[in-house]
Amino acid sequence: MTESRLTARALTLAYEDRTVVDALDLDVPDGQVTVVVGPNACGKSTLLRALGRLLKPKGGAVLLDGEELAQIPTRRIARSLGLLPQTPVAPEAITVADLVARGRQPHQRWWQQWSEEDERAVTDAMARTDVSALAERAVDELSGGQRQRVWIAMALAQETDLLLLDEPTTYLDIAHQVEVLDLVRQLNHERGRTVVAVLHDLNQAARYADHLVAMKAGRVIARGRPSEIVTAELVREVFGLDSVVVPDPVTGSPLVIPGTPWAPSAACGGIASLD
Amino acid sequence: MTYTVSPGEAPAKARPRPAGYLLVRAGRGSFLVHRRAAAVALGLAVLLAAVCVAYLCVGKTFVAPTEAVKVVLGQPSSDELVVGTLRLPRMTVGLLIGAAFGVAGALIQTVSRNPLASPDIIGVTQGASALTVGAMTFGVTSYAFLPYLSVIGGLLAAALVYAFAWRRGLHAARFVLIGIGFAVALRSVTHLFMTKGDYLVAQQAQVWMTGSLNGRGWDEATPVFWALLALVPFVLWAARAQRTVAMDDDTATALGVRLGRVRFGLVLLGVVLASIATGAAGPVDFVALLAPQIARRTTRTAQIPLLCSALLGAVIVVLADLLARKLFEPTELPVGVLTAAVGAPYLIWLIIRSRTGGKA
Repeated sequence: MTESRLTARALTLAYEDRTVVDALDLDVPDGQVTVVVGPNACGKSTLLRALGRLLKPKGGAVLLDGEELAQIPTRRIARSLGLLPQTPVAPEAITVADLVARGRQPHQRWWQQWSEEDERAVTDAMARTDVSALAERAVDELSGGQRQRVWIAMALAQETDLLLLDEPTTYLDIAHQVEVLDLVRQLNHERGRTVVAVLHDLNQAARYADHLVAMKAGRVIARGRPSEIVTAELVREVFGLDSVVVPDPVTGSPLVIPGTPWAPSAACGGIASLD
Repeated sequence: MTYTVSPGEAPAKARPRPAGYLLVRAGRGSFLVHRRAAAVALGLAVLLAAVCVAYLCVGKTFVAPTEAVKVVLGQPSSDELVVGTLRLPRMTVGLLIGAAFGVAGALIQTVSRNPLASPDIIGVTQGASALTVGAMTFGVTSYAFLPYLSVIGGLLAAALVYAFAWRRGLHAARFVLIGIGFAVALRSVTHLFMTKGDYLVAQQAQVWMTGSLNGRGWDEATPVFWALLALVPFVLWAARAQRTVAMDDDTATALGVRLGRVRFGLVLLGVVLASIATGAAGPVDFVALLAPQIARRTTRTAQIPLLCSALLGAVIVVLADLLARKLFEPTELPVGVLTAAVGAPYLIWLIIRSRTGGKA
């Protein structure tokens, strides 16, 4: 049984009166990559926001090292837990190095704005995400892929044991998606960082997750190793989609292939049927 | 205590220290100083000194710069009366309120994330005006008392705007729109007071409302000086704190910033500064709007540099008052007329730019 520093207990989340997540229990296994998947509006991003204390629970609690998040000073949380929102906004005209350096915020004081430690963390974060060469460029002028790497660098510079990522691959082309996910996995392996990511793509989730959490309508439907839980029945239950699940030819992880695409039927299309 | 400034290139290893910053160490402390902002601040300080000397020299009678400087330094001079008693205190008030408006505008623009926001647009100065003019019509004419009413009026208006804009957190756009609404409403309240009041009072109120430095002496300068000096520690806090609110709410919170408190602190400081300045000279329009934007455009920093904004505010007000005194001699214009003449076209330009899709 793995340890969990970050857990949710009977967590209920709501916007106004609309309940989005209902009495959810979750243990985020330490040192693993946990990926949350589910259809649109299933509450997965909402859950991530609550895990990162951006949303106050309506009921239940999120615990960090056994202590309720709401009771911990936000600055202290920021030293253990980093979070990258789905669409972060950079101050206008800020340079890459300046933005990445802001990840050091929770480690700095008014009278200690820059230390050796800050310097090391920022250099390291920029090197890992391969943005060192962009250091003096303005963030506004970068491409989507570069910008996303800069944001990840900022989150890395924060040097937290836990890192929450809200759809880190949105707006990226497939090559950049893979690059970002590989980076996440590398961090997890080399630094033992615990990562929780919300992903849209079920196949990517199955490829990169150690621990997969499938959600639907604010509840967890299944959790565990992707190879153990991803089945055609689960895909139907969670996404309402008919599919075939085969082993990924590269990794062996489950690969979900949706059922037959829509095609004009012989009757109305007038095209000769194949049989 | 040892001071080391590491300039341009450090030997051997690459420096990830944000490009364009100087690292200043003092004992256990370490401070990042934006290099370009520091240079601009220095340039502005020189410009301000020059404008101030010009201010003291030019008027109905011309005073030689050497004599003007002598008076400032407290040395005996034949021009003691003109410079020391008439021009110097008036200039000091101008300097102080200019700097206060500059910082106030910077803080409110930062929190609202909107270059069009400033204390004279979101109702702070209108609140100050309404209460002050109201008091005038009810027979309060003591210039020793009015500035305090003005501060209270500004704070009240800001508190109302803040309260109405609050909906599970402060929403920046809402804050500005509600502020504009209040500004309009408060302006009509002020006019209502003026029409109800006595003709002479209305005249006096009209001059006050345009923003004028006419007749300001040490009696006005001294309390403003002490009030602003007391706020300096808070401004130093704000200079660092406003860095963090420039990001989106989620990112800032994730970085451990107590966003609600920081924002409240910044707005409160901005409102207090603007109210004090309004109390001393009336609402000198557009200074709080102009100074921060020019400062940011010249320094190209990611947030508005407070020191540069303060210096620019001071330059604008002192220069505008110099022109206001001299341009249509012997008639003297209120300084607010000049700042508005420059500021209004700038405001229109900002709006046009933001509507055509450019980032304002």
